[in-house]
Amino acid sequence: MRIGTMFKDIVRSLFTKSSTQLYPLERIAPPERYRGILSYNPSVCTGCTLCVKDCPSDAIELVIIDRAAKKYIMKYRMDRCIYCGQCVVSCKPKGIGMSNQEWEHAALDQNFMVYYGKEPDIAKYLESTAAAPAAETDK
Amino acid sequence: MNSEQNLQQAEQLLAAWNKETTHPEANRLDATIAADDLRLAVSALHNTHWGYLSAITGMDLGPDAGQMEALYHFCNGPAITTLRIRLPRTSDVSLPTIEDIIPPATFFERELHEMLGFRIEGGKSNERLFIPDDWPEDVYPLREDFKIEQAKPVEGRHADELPDEGVVGGNKFVIPIGPQHPALKEPGHFEFTVDGEIVTAASMRLGYAHRGIEKAAESRNWIQNLYLFERICGICSHTHAYAYSQGVEKLAQVEVPARAQAIRELVAGLERIHSHLLWLGVTAHEAGFDTLFMYSWRDRETVMNLLEQITGNRVNYSANVLGGVKADVGPEQAKAIKEGLNYLETRIRHYLEVVTTDTMFLNRTRGIGTISYEEAEEFGLLGPTARASGLLRDVRVEAPYGAYTRFPISGVTETNGDLEARCVVRLKELLVSCFALRTIVDNLPEGPLTTKMPRKVPAGETISRVEAPRGELFYYIKSNGTEHPARVHIRTPSLCNWVSVLEKAVGRQLADVPMLIAGMDPCFSCNDRLVTTVGTSGDRKTWSWKQLREYGIEYYKR
Amino acid sequence: MNTLTSLTSLLIFPAGLTLLLMGMLYEWTDRKLVARFQNRTGPRWFQPIADVVKLFAKEQITPGIKNPFLFFGLPIVAISGALTAALYVPLLGFTPAHSLPGDLIVTIYLLSLLTMCMGLAGWNTSSRFALVGATRALTQVFAYEAPFLLALLGPAMAAGSWQISVINDYAANHWFIISQPVGFIIALIGLMGKLELPPFDAPEAETEIVAGALTEYSGRGLAMFKIGKSVELVVGITLVSAFYLGGLHGILPFLAKTLGVLFVMTMFQVLLTRMRIDQTVGLWWRYGTILVLAQIVIIILLKGGLS
Repeated sequence: MRIGTMFKDIVRSLFTKSSTQLYPLERIAPPERYRGILSYNPSVCTGCTLCVKDCPSDAIELVIIDRAAKKYIMKYRMDRCIYCGQCVVSCKPKGIGMSNQEWEHAALDQNFMVYYGKEPDIAKYLESTAAAPAAETDK
Repeated sequence: MNSEQNLQQAEQLLAAWNKETTHPEANRLDATIAADDLRLAVSALHNTHWGYLSAITGMDLGPDAGQMEALYHFCNGPAITTLRIRLPRTSDVSLPTIEDIIPPATFFERELHEMLGFRIEGGKSNERLFIPDDWPEDVYPLREDFKIEQAKPVEGRHADELPDEGVVGGNKFVIPIGPQHPALKEPGHFEFTVDGEIVTAASMRLGYAHRGIEKAAESRNWIQNLYLFERICGICSHTHAYAYSQGVEKLAQVEVPARAQAIRELVAGLERIHSHLLWLGVTAHEAGFDTLFMYSWRDRETVMNLLEQITGNRVNYSANVLGGVKADVGPEQAKAIKEGLNYLETRIRHYLEVVTTDTMFLNRTRGIGTISYEEAEEFGLLGPTARASGLLRDVRVEAPYGAYTRFPISGVTETNGDLEARCVVRLKELLVSCFALRTIVDNLPEGPLTTKMPRKVPAGETISRVEAPRGELFYYIKSNGTEHPARVHIRTPSLCNWVSVLEKAVGRQLADVPMLIAGMDPCFSCNDRLVTTVGTSGDRKTWSWKQLREYGIEYYKR
Repeated sequence: MNTLTSLTSLLIFPAGLTLLLMGMLYEWTDRKLVARFQNRTGPRWFQPIADVVKLFAKEQITPGIKNPFLFFGLPIVAISGALTAALYVPLLGFTPAHSLPGDLIVTIYLLSLLTMCMGLAGWNTSSRFALVGATRALTQVFAYEAPFLLALLGPAMAAGSWQISVINDYAANHWFIISQPVGFIIALIGLMGKLELPPFDAPEAETEIVAGALTEYSGRGLAMFKIGKSVELVVGITLVSAFYLGGLHGILPFLAKTLGVLFVMTMFQVLLTRMRIDQTVGLWWRYGTILVLAQIVIIILLKGGLS
């Protein structure tokens, strides 16, 4: 029966550095396997669309322009993605990867659609859809 | 007595009422009985202490088949006996209650009633538990012909609009704890009638984190469902995924490689450390001992960083895939795990000492909420709450699955049954886990990480039981040979443990109530995952993702 | 000129504005120390000031109440009680602004006024949490008030007066912590009870009754109660350190001694679990009162023996 069993802890804490991470002033680098934003390599894609079928949250849509010439556009919704990594596993030729550097994507607007593919393909696709232009990036 | 003899004994006990017997799996006995014989059959099993009632699954086989089913699952070690009752699908489907024989059955029966529309005769199982007050009458979301348009909220019955019975009479008044309350980490509603500081009555409503997951699983394929079920809960997420993948792999008759099994056990062990440290902090916070809260959560960061190194995320690890695991454990991860475990073990021993010797903390935990062995059996408790009373209910010990046959875990029990015993059981379990994890890391079997899984899982039904940090997690999965499951029923351990709070709160002080709630380690998210729908034929996309989202937004616009 | 100096000393220095700022400084010290004990960083120095400014800027929501006059008036009475009590204690080491025979009792009463106001405020709103919090607050007053007063009585008896400035001067030569150690401990722990610091924070137990008596307060009312509590912190610590730690004469001794007492109190806060209200009352009426009564008896005997 004792009082103050954590005495040693608290005294030691006075002399050690605090455990608080002063984010965003200090950032700890995420580990190597961290699951961040998707990346897509159209040149190895076969258009099997398993990634689209297996995505639990319908975050990926694949537009197949020309299968033989490997012209694909992946429409990726950053806000719907749950960063589970199933698409990475489902893709046999390893065309999808997950970045471990980019994961801070909180934003003030709602333009979360990202287009992956070759730039001329994306430009032509956006023209042809003729909808209100969404955010365009090519990676 | 091994499980075959167990099942034979069960078959003999049920011989009088058994209409049809099947063995869907090696350790399962499925006996079809009539609704009138239910009480007799249940009494027969209960009086001979053949296992415990683990879950009651309800199913709607559809208007074409014209039948509804209720399955009563009893578990005894690895052996499972299922009493199957088939009823015609009329406007009045009724079952007798068994809550006087087995008290915890009332929660399961309420689920049957409000989701499927079974009328339960006798007892108070016709009250609502998960469904909100303004859900329309006679609309049962679990039924196959349920349409989303039927779910319009009834005017004037929203919880805000119902009269609030503040003062019950004399000096007694009702203290509501929840849905928003600092004592609860997740929403739930408890009403404690107090007389001064002493609690005189307690009641409970759940369902605030209800997301319609079981129904949503209907319209997703097997792979998508893995991630859906993982997100039922943040702290038991891996065990949900483990139970689901184990069940689906059994249905597909696929053998998962040994390395993947070992890694699954590794991640499960680390998750258990994470969960129990979190629980320790929460309990300390409820008691007002913020220092222990801060320190145990600081040490929890170590295990979360370990999990991030192995799997890539701190919560919702997504380590499983159907057929194996995604994340491998290489030499640097192994080294990091061992260092982390050394540190954690020192800290856990320190906390064990604090919890058992600190006078002021013991004033809040010793002798409070004491549940004896007999009461634990009668209430149907599971997990560390039961083990603190001496009742060893641990799936890893009684019915080892996966890698637990190769890297076994010894069961930890205490005898006092009070809050202090629950703290001690959980911390000692962690020490056992640390030991097992070190063994796994040193002796990881070689081999591939996954095997091939068919996209269309063969028809059948299976039961998968896994030990979550809170107790036994029970998955009943039924497939009809397509890419989508026909029915998934999940019974989480927290649902069984609520009785311990409600029964034990009466007569205690109001200040003990948050401690009692915290002592059973409630996981409200785990509780509220079910909105059921069963459809074997017909419209499977009843609740698409888009519909569910829109419905949710629309419902809360008011 | 006399009026001007009086007004300055009342409104700006050392009471008034300075007291308010000191209250916030001590509150910050307490929070920062608690954080450092728990291996955290803790708030920056202007946090309590920012809290108060924010609260004053927010809308005050009037819940269902029995008596609106009480609802708006109680925070004002509470804070004025705390500020008035400060006039009789040696703030910042200066002689008290006012001094009259028997002002020890007046000060204790004014400090209790704050707790009574909180209890009454809790009863006034129709929230169940507030009612339970108010009940607990008043029960706790019933528990610690007597031992706390008796503990302060020890130095008063030794000094032969009930006037704080007289005791303060007497204590300059006699460190009562050495001659009356039991009294010091009871006074310190009683002060923690009075201020509703853990382990005696059952009246405002966050995890059981949300915020206790102050659950329904927001905006200005809450800000005033908070300021009142931090002022009470300063005044209470001043009182205890003036009596037991050799009097407060000068700013530097004042800061050193009061911060020392605050450090010890924070350490107790961090190490101990919250006690249930029945355990609090049991502790005080079983051990607290008996110990301090024994102390008083010893003093009487010693004084009688010496004279």
